[in-house]
Amino acid sequence: MPARRLKKTPAHLEITAFINLIVVLVPFLLSVAVFTHLAVIDLSLPAQSNEQIQKLDPDKPLKLEVIVRKGWVEVNDKHGGRLIDPPIPNLVTGPDVKTLSATIEAIKLKYPQHDDASVLAENDIPYDALVQVMDAVRAGHQVQGKELVFTDYFPNISVGDAPVIRQ
Amino acid sequence: MKPLTPLQRRKERKSRNENALDMNLVSLIDVFTLLIFFLMSNVGVETLASARAVQLPESMSQKAPKETLLVVVTANEILVGSNVVANVADALAVPDDMIQPLKAALDVEAAREVIRKENEADSKRVTIMGDKDIPYRLLKKVMVTAARAGYSDVSFAVRQRFEP
Repeated sequence: MPARRLKKTPAHLEITAFINLIVVLVPFLLSVAVFTHLAVIDLSLPAQSNEQIQKLDPDKPLKLEVIVRKGWVEVNDKHGGRLIDPPIPNLVTGPDVKTLSATIEAIKLKYPQHDDASVLAENDIPYDALVQVMDAVRAGHQVQGKELVFTDYFPNISVGDAPVIRQ
Repeated sequence: MKPLTPLQRRKERKSRNENALDMNLVSLIDVFTLLIFFLMSNVGVETLASARAVQLPESMSQKAPKETLLVVVTANEILVGSNVVANVADALAVPDDMIQPLKAALDVEAAREVIRKENEADSKRVTIMGDKDIPYRLLKKVMVTAARAGYSDVSFAVRQRFEP
């Protein structure tokens, strides 16, 4: 006589309501989700040309100026002339941000207590190039041991007009 | 045709009643559940709604945007908040650094009273959302106009980028 077995049917989960909910929720969340996060760069506008501010402060010998020109980027000290010579030529894509960042890092090592810099641009420089240069001056990745550390170089950036080259 | 035995009849009845469709949805639900958690964690409160017409430049800045007055400079128009106030071509044509219609719009915004005390510090800030292709000349005009209208704290809106 064959053994009597209980005939088992697989349990049916009632998941229709759950699937309904998910099907509605997934497109909704997809439409709401933000994939690009926005941030801001704060500016300190240059003080109105005021002779008292322009005076040389012996405690702060450096007045870093990064001048973005059409074909190259100059890194100057307002009181002491060029900090790098010749200036950094542009790449095909725009300003050579990597070389600039290395230069700025070297300057920061020399003047660790300085936070101020001016980025001066010529009239036809696109906004994108200006922001890339500001980014390189503001902060960068430094190698410390095995790790890359994001450090501030000159976070107080003001923006201004580039001095006109005399012919 | 031979009549069915009672056992056969029973089997047939049973198979007729079993009409539940047995779909294997477990993996689908797995994926959806994961997707929902991922999307839920991604839904952040954005204080700046990014405009489609503006291609923002990328930056490594991590500073979160604040709720300030927004000046949007697209390739063709200048907007304060969501109102078009000036034309880029007109603004570039002005020999002066001042964009008069923008100044007028900013003056209206500046004249608004701040109701809550803690917002007072932010009321004189302006965030400029500029297209990445606008020339510095235009940006300068916008900044000068903002400064003349009393908005001296300027921030640039950028798209966050993570890799060095």
